[in-house]
Amino acid sequence: MTAIKAAQMSSVASARRAFAVSMGKAVRGGSRRLGKGDGSAVPGAVALAIDPGTLAGLVAEITRGAVLVTGSNGKGTTCRMLAEVMRAAGLRPILNREGSNQLSGLATSLVASSGRFGHLPADDQAIGLFEVDEGSFPGIIKQITRPSALVFTNVFRDQLDRYLEPAYLMSVLERAMRNLPADTTLILNADDPRVAYLGPELENPRLYFGIQDTRHGRAGIDPTSDFPRCPRCGGELTYDCVFYAHLGHWTCHGCGLARPEPRVRLTKIDLLGSASSRVQATTDAAEMVLDIPLPGLYNAYNAAAALAAATACRLPDRAFSAIERVTPNKLRMERVEVAGHDVYLTLAKNANGYTEVLRAVLSDGQPKRIMLGLNDCAGKQPDTSWIWDVDFDSLCGLIPSPVITGNRAHDLTVRLKYAGWLGTSKATALTTEPDPVRAFQLSLARTPPGEPLWLVSTSIVLQQVRRWLRHQGFVREAWQEQDQRPGVTL
Amino acid sequence: MTVMKITLGCLYPDIMSTYGDRGNVATLLRRCEWRNITAEVRELRLGDRFEPGEFDLIVIGGGGESQQRLIASDLHKIKGPGIREAVAQGAAALAVGGGFELFGRLYQPGAGAELPGAGLFDAYTIGHRAILDDHYDTLSEARADRAIGDLVVRWGDQLLVGFENHMGGTYLGPAAKPLGQVVSGFGNNGDGSEGARLGNAIGTHLRGPCLPKNPALADFLIGAAVMRRHRDTELPPLADEAERAARQIALRRAWAATHGRRARVTLRPPAAGPRWGSARRRGVPGLSPQGCP
Repeated sequence: MTAIKAAQMSSVASARRAFAVSMGKAVRGGSRRLGKGDGSAVPGAVALAIDPGTLAGLVAEITRGAVLVTGSNGKGTTCRMLAEVMRAAGLRPILNREGSNQLSGLATSLVASSGRFGHLPADDQAIGLFEVDEGSFPGIIKQITRPSALVFTNVFRDQLDRYLEPAYLMSVLERAMRNLPADTTLILNADDPRVAYLGPELENPRLYFGIQDTRHGRAGIDPTSDFPRCPRCGGELTYDCVFYAHLGHWTCHGCGLARPEPRVRLTKIDLLGSASSRVQATTDAAEMVLDIPLPGLYNAYNAAAALAAATACRLPDRAFSAIERVTPNKLRMERVEVAGHDVYLTLAKNANGYTEVLRAVLSDGQPKRIMLGLNDCAGKQPDTSWIWDVDFDSLCGLIPSPVITGNRAHDLTVRLKYAGWLGTSKATALTTEPDPVRAFQLSLARTPPGEPLWLVSTSIVLQQVRRWLRHQGFVREAWQEQDQRPGVTL
Repeated sequence: MTVMKITLGCLYPDIMSTYGDRGNVATLLRRCEWRNITAEVRELRLGDRFEPGEFDLIVIGGGGESQQRLIASDLHKIKGPGIREAVAQGAAALAVGGGFELFGRLYQPGAGAELPGAGLFDAYTIGHRAILDDHYDTLSEARADRAIGDLVVRWGDQLLVGFENHMGGTYLGPAAKPLGQVVSGFGNNGDGSEGARLGNAIGTHLRGPCLPKNPALADFLIGAAVMRRHRDTELPPLADEAERAARQIALRRAWAATHGRRARVTLRPPAAGPRWGSARRRGVPGLSPQGCP
């Protein structure tokens, strides 16, 4: 009797799952056919509404388990690098599309990958690799309860009206991490004191990554550091070397807490202008030189995080060099050719990101054509105060006649005025044009023939420009490209 | 013309600067520079003594509860008496967010002992939930308990613009005067008052940071500081087109938020008592896109 009842119950559950998945798939197909974009959150939300266990059930079917990547900056790029390594090692990673990193976005990805009857295709080389929004992390690990590894890239002050102050965010994350099983490897940034000190009471295995090449550091402390204090005792942190913000080689003289010695180390980094870098990396088993087709120290950190995760997943060393095949994420220095110009769409969504992106683009000290954008999430998230922590002051004069755009363009103009970019009375070439498409056309017209143009902005501005470029036939939708790549689900 | 010089005291710049608060200092410095006023900045960190005679303008920014815990006893014991004396002598002050809360008598966290403040304003703040401890499972729960959004305040014949992100539990005692009245947003606790004012000292929840888009407030502080040092308040006007354009946008947004789709709802009289979310959407007659200078 009980056996029959159990069988009935399980068949009800599996019918429910199949129905949830097929409804999700129908919504996804419909929204694409209607041209409403890729429908990245809605299908998952529909499936979860029908069967709240959809995500948990589908993830449990992935043979080689799941790796989660979270943190403020660099999640998406770290995932892309790690995915290349996994593919080179013969695995077939199941990824969520960049940006679809909340609960419903994750569910969408798995719904899209699964078959009609609500199951993933049987594949003993399948491995889950999911970018997880740090604010959604507590909810997501209630579904993905047994990740094999958790990568934490860094933590920065980011959208305070969404994630609240970093201390609050971290306290919520730490509580959520207590539910992780004891065998989940934590892959942590040794150079970020707040990340290195995550979950001090947890006994999980840890693998640290960090940068050893102190030529890229400065002495002292960055005034915009979000974590100037020791995460354990509250004492003042001292740095032998600061790479940027609060990332560096840190020590607390109050309680003796110090940067852990990383097992995955970048021993030498050469930043090669605004497009690429060469890093020398050392892991337990191997030493290698990698040419990464992405600029800036922050991408070196992403490579280190990906190498550390690959080490934790025990992927073969020979696969590590596949990191070199990484292509930029959508809106992460995404190159689009427009009327003979290379146009780079570059997302910068918080103070640290904006500063580092501008530094990467302007690293050779030569003036560049850059359109700067700033928008908020109208009505819901009005906070753009972080622009006052972006180091515009030292870049004064490096961006000739910039166009400032976005629904908060005027705020950015005021910021630049106080950074000394325009005098109080004398005429200036700085132009404020809140409409992103008009601003883009203006910027393009001002860019001398053949010269590249960078669009550095928060996301809504870039999405509007990208949509316009798509209508003009300059870019294809990311999902159209991704769907055609062999061996990639989604 | 004599060379004018004022001294700014920046309190805990390394700890209390969560919401781009260094923008307030940058604004004060530039507006002094453009008027040929020499402004010297002195940073006052944990343990540094505060000599009331040295400072003409005191600035403290915002920070969360963990930062407030770090500075509270230093502010109360070491710097508080000096700050109160300086303001009594006419020094100007700007305290924002978490700094404003600790310029009052005390801040009571949701859990644990109260944090005594500098005691400049007769005000106290109650954090009604233990945000750092085990109260909230998710950030959205924590967010729902906060006043987050655009904030417009009537200050004399001016409107001040900015946004707020706080617990909304600041109460003024009988000896305190509010900085102004909430036109759009939540303010101190939902009773329609916002901030506190004592002499030339101003406390407010207005972030943004607040000075770049409210040049009148910046000039009030500079004027008061110059007056204290040089007995002179002649501040030549500056070309503020960029600031005015940004203000205009902020006012238009606030107007749309209060008079937009909720036009009929907003004609209700102000809601009584601190009910979350109610005062935030309250419309006040007189705010219009034309309402700014």
